[in-house]
Amino acid sequence: MKDKIGIILGLLATILVILTIAVYIMNAGTIELTESATLAIVIILILAASYIIWDRAKNIRKGLSAKDERLININYKAGYYGFIAALFSPLVGQFIADIILGRELTGSQVTAITVIVSGLVFVVSYLYLARKGN
Amino acid sequence: MKTRMKELRARYNFTQEDLAKKIGVRRETILFIEKGAYNPSIKLAHDIAKALQTTIDELFIFED
Repeated sequence: MKDKIGIILGLLATILVILTIAVYIMNAGTIELTESATLAIVIILILAASYIIWDRAKNIRKGLSAKDERLININYKAGYYGFIAALFSPLVGQFIADIILGRELTGSQVTAITVIVSGLVFVVSYLYLARKGN
Repeated sequence: MKTRMKELRARYNFTQEDLAKKIGVRRETILFIEKGAYNPSIKLAHDIAKALQTTIDELFIFED
C-alpha cells in the first residue's frame, strides 16, 4: 500500500511538472539558448523520474517489492552525491559564468543551477548505481 | 564474496523471481548478489539462507 501511494504521488508530481513546463513554453514566446538548455535538463529529469516510477510499478504488478534494501542504499548514495553537487554547483556555476560570460549570475539563476544540477546528479547516479548493483 | 545461491536455487527449482518474491526483494537484487556485485545485509543474507534451507556460512564464501 505504501509503495502504491509513493507511485501515485510520484506520478502526480511528474504530471504537475510536465503541465508547468507546457504552460511555460506556451507563454514564453521565443525561448533563448540558455533557457532551452535548462528545459532540456528538466525534460531529462522528467524522463528519468518516469522511468523510475514505471520500474517500481512494474515490480508491484509482478508481486515483487518496489523498493528493497539495495534500492534504499542506492537512494542514500545518490542523495549524498546530489547534496555534494548542490553545495558546489553555485560556486562552480558562478566561476564558469564569470569566465565565459564575464558577468555575475543573479540569485534566481544560482538557485536554478543548484536545483537542476543536484537533481541531474541525483538521477544520473541513481540510474548508474541501480545498473551497477551497489 | 562468492555465493552458492545459484546452485541452491536450482536445487529447489526456484527462479530468481520466485526467490525474490519469497524474501520480499526485487529480482535485480538477487541477480546482483549472485553476480557478487552486491553484498547483502546480515538480515537479507539470513532471509535468503532461510528460503534456501541452508545457513549463511554455506551460502556465502568469504574470501580474505
